[in-house]
Amino acid sequence: MSDGSTEFARRTGGADWIPYWAAARQRELRFQRCLDCRRWRHPPGPFCPDCGSTRNAWERASGRARLISWVIVHPPVLPVWKDRVPYAALLVECEEGVRTIGGLVHASPDALRMDMPLEVDFAPSPDGDLVPQWRPAQAAG
Amino acid sequence: MSLRDQAAIVGIGQLPFSKDIGRSEEVTALEAAHLALEDAGLKPSDIDGMMKWSIQPTGENVIARNLGVPNLRFFGEVGYGGGGGCGVVGHAAAGIAAGMARCVLVYRSRNRGSGGRPWAGTSRERDNIAAETNETALFSPYGFVRPVDQVAMFARRFLHERGYTTDHLGWIAVACRRHATNNPIAMMREPITMDDYRRARMISDPLRLFDCCLETDGAAAVIVTAADVARDLRQKPAYIMAAAQGMGPRNWVMNNYFKEPLLESPGAYAARDLWRMAGVGPEDVDVAQLYDAFTPLVLGSLEEYGFCKPGEAGAFVENHGLELGGRLPTNTSGGSLSEAYVHGINLIIEATRQIRGTSLNQVPGARLSLVTSGNMVPTGALLLRGA
Repeated sequence: MSDGSTEFARRTGGADWIPYWAAARQRELRFQRCLDCRRWRHPPGPFCPDCGSTRNAWERASGRARLISWVIVHPPVLPVWKDRVPYAALLVECEEGVRTIGGLVHASPDALRMDMPLEVDFAPSPDGDLVPQWRPAQAAG
Repeated sequence: MSLRDQAAIVGIGQLPFSKDIGRSEEVTALEAAHLALEDAGLKPSDIDGMMKWSIQPTGENVIARNLGVPNLRFFGEVGYGGGGGCGVVGHAAAGIAAGMARCVLVYRSRNRGSGGRPWAGTSRERDNIAAETNETALFSPYGFVRPVDQVAMFARRFLHERGYTTDHLGWIAVACRRHATNNPIAMMREPITMDDYRRARMISDPLRLFDCCLETDGAAAVIVTAADVARDLRQKPAYIMAAAQGMGPRNWVMNNYFKEPLLESPGAYAARDLWRMAGVGPEDVDVAQLYDAFTPLVLGSLEEYGFCKPGEAGAFVENHGLELGGRLPTNTSGGSLSEAYVHGINLIIEATRQIRGTSLNQVPGARLSLVTSGNMVPTGALLLRGA
């Protein structure tokens, strides 16, 4: 597979997002972090909205998160999703304080509860790329 | 200096809504503009300004040359689709207050009922890809791209935090439908009950079919003039008492989940500025058109514009607060949920009718008439008043 930057840029979010999707292909959850004020940020952008710095790095996140909200998608949907309905999309808040969206794996939507602990996993989107997904945290976690 | 009371809506024009209007958005915009001019008793040569939604494909020059407008000395547009409408009229008033125009045409035409819709499989694949490069579709790898999904994500958390239920959303849908039943140009005129609402199919759990607005072909136009011009025209002026816009921090279009507080929408910011400019408050408002692309937006606006304390909007709608005869008759022509979805220009027109006393669901003696724009995106609001 190529580095995929063309597909990534076309698919979602534009150039700022490429490291997010590229990290997921390596089974890593990474977010942009300001190298000056050290604040995490997501969605990504060229300037730190807190301190104005343009210096940032994509640092690895713990992968632990809390469920903020979810939806269960029913038809009508885009053609590529037709055979997958109904499916869940989750809004999660990561330990680092940033929020992101992902799918649900290893659980039924019936198991979802507000604020439940989640951990990151990686599973393909319909186009075959590994992307960040979420599963209920292990009891010990 | 403020634009308060310096401009007024003096003309309104609206074509019948439909699923297939059968002619181009350019032609219907021109037809609506002619209707609005006739309503006001003005001529194309009186127009010296135009304002439009950025999403409106027909440019001001196209409208101006086809109407025969000799010169536009003021024109511009406001972005964010359904968030833009009140801003479009607000900018018209601002241009007038600043002396840059005397008579501004505002127009919106849209063939969304008959045009391509990616969810219905009626648009080409390349339209889907175009959608995915948009900020509204940051999360396409998860099939999380429809506006209804983005609102549902907000709504589930909002209901949870406030102690509301989906039945509270249902009361909003029922109220809008009730107001559409006597509106001959409304898209949906059959009354619905709470049982109908609860039985409707899920679209994006927790939202059902009747939580969603309508795919509409429609066109409408509004004429805004300086207050001194308005006094001598054919219609009772609807003075623009206040206009405000709001975005709030770290805004993302539709996917506005990355700010603090999470549940505070751009509407909260517009509301503060609106009441400050107007010098009145929500307790003074007689009738409202609250932007209702989806029912949860109305619940949020009731709180953010100050009609209810957080947590009290559910009881407000359940006690028929939105219906004619209730505390705040809302979306009195049926709104986006039951009349038509045309990015809110129909709401602005209905708010104007309420000031004129010509609504089909007239609130007796209405003097202060509120309109809001969509609060899942950068938004705006207008407060209209009678003489």
